[in-house]
Amino acid sequence: MGLKENLERDTVEKLELRAAITLTAEQSIRDAIEAMRRGGLGCAIIVDDQRHPTGIFTEAMLRNAIFHSPECVDDQLSEHTAETFPWVVTSDPVETVLDAMEIKNHRFVVVVDESGAVVGLTGQKGLMEYVADHFSEEVMVQRVGAEAYPNHREGA
Amino acid sequence: MTRPENNQTEFQDPLENYDSPTYDDSIEQALVEEPVTSIQSRPYASVSPDIRVADAIKRLVEDEIACLLVEDEGRLVGVFSDRDILDKVALEFDDMKDRPVKDVMSPDPVYVFDTDSSAAALTVMAVSGYRHVPVVDLDQKLIGIISPQRVTRFLREHAG
Repeated sequence: MGLKENLERDTVEKLELRAAITLTAEQSIRDAIEAMRRGGLGCAIIVDDQRHPTGIFTEAMLRNAIFHSPECVDDQLSEHTAETFPWVVTSDPVETVLDAMEIKNHRFVVVVDESGAVVGLTGQKGLMEYVADHFSEEVMVQRVGAEAYPNHREGA
Repeated sequence: MTRPENNQTEFQDPLENYDSPTYDDSIEQALVEEPVTSIQSRPYASVSPDIRVADAIKRLVEDEIACLLVEDEGRLVGVFSDRDILDKVALEFDDMKDRPVKDVMSPDPVYVFDTDSSAAALTVMAVSGYRHVPVVDLDQKLIGIISPQRVTRFLREHAG
């Protein structure tokens, strides 16, 4: 079965979800930076007390906030988060993530369960891994970061 | 002495049974047979290693991009991205803003050659874990950059 069919058939559960960094709106940008550094992740999700997502704070927002006001790191997250953000339910097709990436150029997509609670994060990286896994014979054997061609000729 | 031709066995081409590959999927064929230059890699934004960190951030903001290629005389020496701002600049802005970007960029980035197959760009993203993949020619001169969005567009075009 081709990639196109799999994108329509497979659900988001099939993607390698990343553990989401969750914070409350009252926490500071500094808290978010420290958590994102610890987690090696490019975004934090703002949640309410039932873990329902209410906003997202990304590296791109951090870059813009720092540029306009370097002192913003002590601001509350609520002053800088995006309240509209892409999200999918675990039972949605993978194609939904592809659409969010290609059409809306979103890097992160919040994944929630049927109750609306955050269960993880996916996005560009998760989708690339999914595609690579689909074509593992082609993708996983590539030379990366070495010389373009041998420096020495083959043989004795 | 025997004549050489009397002692020779008949030449057998080791590739005579070679079957050219067949593909189940048009995307699979594109990944193997089309070079990375089939994926859009321009425009790209680049800066000198000596530009101030504050000015590099300004460039990212004004161009609404997440990654700058750092090039020195046409050669790729590093990348400066949102991740570098998060990890090295955000909490240290006052100390870092006037430093040259070469102090905080990620040096020696993983790149692909323009002659590589398009699958190589996916490898860098999926295996090495980098979202932006610089493309260089065989003389290491910078040609462009491939983003996940550009790869996605490439996949869509070949999905039919």
